Amino acid sequence: MGIGRDSLHKRRATGGRQKKWRKKRKHEMGRIPAGTKISSNVCVRRVRVRGGNYKFRALRLDSGNWSWPSEAVARKTRVLDVTYNASNNELVRTQTLVKSAIVQIDATPFRHWYESHYGVKIGVKKVKGQKQEEVVDDTKRSKHLTRKLAARQADRKLDPLLDEQFVTGRLYACISSRPGQCGRCDGYILEGKELEFYMKKMQKKKSK
Amino acid sequence: MTEVQSERAYLKQSHIGTAQLKGIFKKRTPGKDGYRYYKNVGLGFKTPREAIEGTYIDKKCPFTGDVSIRGRILQGVVKSTKMNRTIIIRRDYLHFIKKYQRYEKRHKNIAVHLSPAFRCKEGDTVIVGQCRPLSKTVRFNVLKVIPAGSKAVKGFSSY
Repeated sequence: MGIGRDSLHKRRATGGRQKKWRKKRKHEMGRIPAGTKISSNVCVRRVRVRGGNYKFRALRLDSGNWSWPSEAVARKTRVLDVTYNASNNELVRTQTLVKSAIVQIDATPFRHWYESHYGVKIGVKKVKGQKQEEVVDDTKRSKHLTRKLAARQADRKLDPLLDEQFVTGRLYACISSRPGQCGRCDGYILEGKELEFYMKKMQKKKSK
Repeated sequence: MTEVQSERAYLKQSHIGTAQLKGIFKKRTPGKDGYRYYKNVGLGFKTPREAIEGTYIDKKCPFTGDVSIRGRILQGVVKSTKMNRTIIIRRDYLHFIKKYQRYEKRHKNIAVHLSPAFRCKEGDTVIVGQCRPLSKTVRFNVLKVIPAGSKAVKGFSSY
């Protein structure tokens, strides 16, 4: 085992060096990082770890379960590309999927859900003078359904930043699972202050 | 004061969602439209006002972060505040030598996490509570600061 997680190589709190007095132990072992990439050629390896348990090391992934926090919905969508990583720019360049990386995901399942839940089309390209959101054709709907949809309109709010993203078909999301540990790339769509924060960071990088 | 979002990643309290989650009860900050998570650490320690009303994000703060205070409660004098959000305290004590039936002075330095809810200078007395390891040497968290000079100061304080 080349990579070790022991603390014997570290200095003491007083600053003094510790002499090596035993070999590396198996329970201190570390493994090579996964470095999960985006690819339709999905590859997840199963690793037997301490205690007989398994970790699922995702080496290549293409989709995950993404949630929309304010609407409390989750859909399985493709990951399109990695746009920002707070720890390391190298991981953005190599398009590596890690926890808390900002990625772009496919917006279509969320758009479909929104249309069927609220009966309103979002992400329609704005033409000058035309209204942004159009109501979906409701001639075939039952009265019960129409009333249900009308009731939901009261609570409905769509962040303008999110609406712009629906137009392009790509939403910004943050990965909240650990692909190298559980083999999945799941997360949540960025909204509100967090979204503004990351958009500013990404623009700063682009303008450099 | 320093800006809240000073890191490259977005700092937030993990218990609070940034978006408005419908129908979920959260503690509301007075006069602000966000929510702030804070808790009572127990053992009779009062949550400082700055923790409830402030805007800092500190995951190692005992009141607004993800640490629980359990185990020992100790007291010490602040020796150095040069580190970022952590201080060194000095605990003096007497050790008995049986052969000579006398005591000798000893001291130990402890690294302690200091939440942005507190402000302390060198020489203040501080009450700290044990928590899980927060870093290589930090296992304690400041729960209360007693400013220097508020009580009769002894030359050598033993505990």
